[in-house]
Amino acid sequence: MSSISQNAPGKTVLLMGNEAIARGALEAGVKVCAAYPGNPSSEIIGGLAKVAEEMGLHVEWSINEKVALEVATAASFAGLRGLCAMKQNGLNVASDFLLNLNLSGCRGGLVLVVADDPAGVSSSNEEDSRIYAKLGDLPLFEPATFQEAKEMTRSAFELSEQLGLPVLIRSVTRVSHARGNVCLDELPKSSTKPRFENWLRFTPLPAIANHKLLHEKLNRAKEMAEKSPFNFYRGGEKPELLVVTSGSGWMYSLEALINLDVQDRIGVLKLGTTWPLPERFVLDHLKKADRILFVEEVDPFLENNVKELYAQNCVDLGLKTFFGKASKHIPDVGDLSPEIVTNAIQNLLQISYESRPADYSLRAHEIAAQIVPARMLGFCPGCPHRATYWAVKIALALDGRDGFVLGDIGCYSLGMGPSGFAQMRTLHAMGSGTGLACGFGQLNRFGLEQPVVAVCGDSTFYHAAMPALANAYYNGSNFLLLLLDNSATAMTGFQPHPGTGETATGGEAPVIDLRAICKVFGAHVEVVDPFDVASTVETILRLLEDKKGVKVLIMKRQCALVSAKHQKRLYRVAVEEERCLGETCGCNRLCTRVFKCPGLMWDRQTGKACIDEAICTGCGVCSEICPASAIRKEKA
Amino acid sequence: MTTTQTASDNKGLKALEQKVLGSNLCAACGACLSLCPYLSSRKGRVVKLDNCNLDEGRCFAYCPRTEVDLDKIYSKIFGKGYEEIELGPVRKIMMARARDPIWRKKAQTGGVVSSLIDFALRKGIIQAGVLTPRDGDLLPQGKILKSRKGILSCAGSSYVSGPTLEALNRGPWKGEERIGIVGLPCQVLAVARMKTSTLEKKTPIDRVDLVIGLFCTWALDYKPFTAFLHERVGGHSIKKLNITPPPERILEVTAGGKLHQVPVDEIRSFIRPSCRVCLDMTAELSDISVGTVEGKEGWNTVIARTAVGEDLLKEAKKTGVIETRPLPKDNLDHLKEASLLKKRRAIDALNEKGGIEKAYFTLSANLVKRILSEAPENAK
Repeated sequence: MSSISQNAPGKTVLLMGNEAIARGALEAGVKVCAAYPGNPSSEIIGGLAKVAEEMGLHVEWSINEKVALEVATAASFAGLRGLCAMKQNGLNVASDFLLNLNLSGCRGGLVLVVADDPAGVSSSNEEDSRIYAKLGDLPLFEPATFQEAKEMTRSAFELSEQLGLPVLIRSVTRVSHARGNVCLDELPKSSTKPRFENWLRFTPLPAIANHKLLHEKLNRAKEMAEKSPFNFYRGGEKPELLVVTSGSGWMYSLEALINLDVQDRIGVLKLGTTWPLPERFVLDHLKKADRILFVEEVDPFLENNVKELYAQNCVDLGLKTFFGKASKHIPDVGDLSPEIVTNAIQNLLQISYESRPADYSLRAHEIAAQIVPARMLGFCPGCPHRATYWAVKIALALDGRDGFVLGDIGCYSLGMGPSGFAQMRTLHAMGSGTGLACGFGQLNRFGLEQPVVAVCGDSTFYHAAMPALANAYYNGSNFLLLLLDNSATAMTGFQPHPGTGETATGGEAPVIDLRAICKVFGAHVEVVDPFDVASTVETILRLLEDKKGVKVLIMKRQCALVSAKHQKRLYRVAVEEERCLGETCGCNRLCTRVFKCPGLMWDRQTGKACIDEAICTGCGVCSEICPASAIRKEKA
Repeated sequence: MTTTQTASDNKGLKALEQKVLGSNLCAACGACLSLCPYLSSRKGRVVKLDNCNLDEGRCFAYCPRTEVDLDKIYSKIFGKGYEEIELGPVRKIMMARARDPIWRKKAQTGGVVSSLIDFALRKGIIQAGVLTPRDGDLLPQGKILKSRKGILSCAGSSYVSGPTLEALNRGPWKGEERIGIVGLPCQVLAVARMKTSTLEKKTPIDRVDLVIGLFCTWALDYKPFTAFLHERVGGHSIKKLNITPPPERILEVTAGGKLHQVPVDEIRSFIRPSCRVCLDMTAELSDISVGTVEGKEGWNTVIARTAVGEDLLKEAKKTGVIETRPLPKDNLDHLKEASLLKKRRAIDALNEKGGIEKAYFTLSANLVKRILSEAPENAK
């Protein structure tokens, strides 16, 4: 992988979309970069953290996205360039600040990259962040290629500085996480000294005056967009169909045109500045065709805004027919693919085209099934969360009052599925499990008899659950919070957080003690090791029954993937075949049928369980749950 | 093996869940516990932790509330069917009490059960007892006990059923011990089912050489009962419970240095539904059954049902462990009446619930008829 920090103008390197964005920021002379990790955005700040020292940057993993944006904004207020990156959910968290920052304006270039996750592949939701640009009257770029990802980022800083406004870049998974060629430009040598000029004032007030000013800035942005190199048209003067697209839709559209061999029949209007729209430029191209198809991922943002523009100008333009999400030619949920775009164009042009044999999918599945073992979405071998949910499952069953688990965002969200024994009943935003628990914990006065349990990871706790916990104590709520402290932001790639003792750039950091925080917030706090299943079950049962108020049980055990990197395994685990009861009464494959750690295998030939030595992390939990004591663990 | 059978053909956990646990028929005897990882219990409630898809399992086979063919099981244990409908098979019936006051002092009545288990241990007839001590909060639990101190800790009653038989299944066993069990009627039925089951055993049930059954009219559900008691006695820990004989029937609760009196009618709602369909008051499937004697404080009614039981009683008497007297005829008649009344009530309850044909036991129509005709009217 090419380093994003090499100063080699003209050199073409292979970069991931997120790295291209990071490179663009470096070429723009960014100084302060902050984010809370979240896929598909994590590699932007993660990549910059790696070069922070050599490039003289401040790069941090902030406690949450709002704070991250505030940190980057401070640089801008002081005259430096600041970059903030997040995923779509993160923008919801940061939006309160952002929708005041638009009115206050900023100074040094300030760019906010939001990487959307169409189809919610690594998210709890599917959401289109572009609506925030319109909501906040902020300029928006949408890169369609890797080169553009870099160029746009650089341009976004310049535009931001020219307007005194933060500029949004909206990426999507297929741009952020794919790789392509990027031609590098020079890295600048700037040495601006930050200073907060005392004659400056950054406040949204007076709101009306600043709102007016904001609209003027947006109009200037609109004028600038008319000449933007990121907006262009490819096609003839009288195409049968005009495709209007942005972001990932551009490449998909090109591929569809090639598939169908209709490059000469169809024009493509590719927009890179999608808010504010370059109105004259768009109108000029609308004139070219009577049939228009919108290709974009997630919501009909472009589609609706262009239609709005058309409505204003329909007298001049005459009758047009629009196709896209509203007409159902493009799906209004999920991510796009070249095949989806090909199908849409094929339908509109009445072309008969078979992208692949009709039974291709079926055959592919059949062949795959023969060579690829079936694998469910689940926890890694030795994951402490599996042990936690196992204990929770047993404790709630024994408690017998139909207690339930309110979930949160992290690896442990998989507690919804078989890997977490389907224990988790709710899942929303960061920290919402604890927030919901605050509410449920008040319902006993109306007769709710079920015990309330929330789960929350360590990173999520710092991010958003702390206010909920303080609220619980203050308002006298009653629930049990299981704080799953695996000492990592595991799901997004093991970024450090305030509990890990390390900064984004690998430096030493003070550790904010979870136990101390919870105590200060008035909770009764205990700590267990989830690998000690029996005592975890007992502790949960006791806390469910005995104490009123807020109880926090810290499930202390490092993420198996983190500990595998620098610790030897805890135990050597082996199955004593003579003892294994297999499928017979007394066991019936508890370990491989119910517990299902991937490190356990079922040997059909012998009818016994065995250990997959290659992936077993030696946590020893299976040895605790085996009813026949057939799984032996020895200190490794 | 995975099953393609319907739930009604299943004789495993699936059926147990449907017919017993889910139908509130569990007696909390402990027979299904510690056999596998799918069942566990807490505070008198047996809980299914995960699904098991086996077609048949010991949980179902050992349960005293699933498909019991009474005639068959009595034949296997006693060599004769379910024909002595009053008290079950009787070789000898008498009054008895322990001679050593150490047993009588802590006992609910005459101390016979404790002294017999202690005697059997000392004589080497058994090497371990599966008994039911209670924790500080009246919660009964099965335990393997081998010492006099341990036996003493089990004396007395909390009127709550507990999973005694779990201890038999769980061990730990060295592998040689001969075992004695003291249990309620549901538990001695479960032990008989264990002994006669054709499934691979994997437990030391074949080394159970002595079964002492306790008379029982009903047992209470631990959780609601103790919640009620704690409220009554103001949160003090409860030292002793005793129900006075009829006609008063008062529950005496010793707690916080005071004696609280609770009319038995006030605790009837805590009787386990499982007890309402139980036919057995005198723990018929035992070697020896032991109960109280109405009107004779400090004495037990004792029934020897098998040669093992008879021999043990003979030896215990000979060595001065217990003393016996004949059971007065009035008491015997009364006992038979009470036993038949329990059977009649169970049959009536089952008939109300959808018919005796659907009951957990099979009993010939003829025997049912005999019970109904010989039992006293269903007086309160």
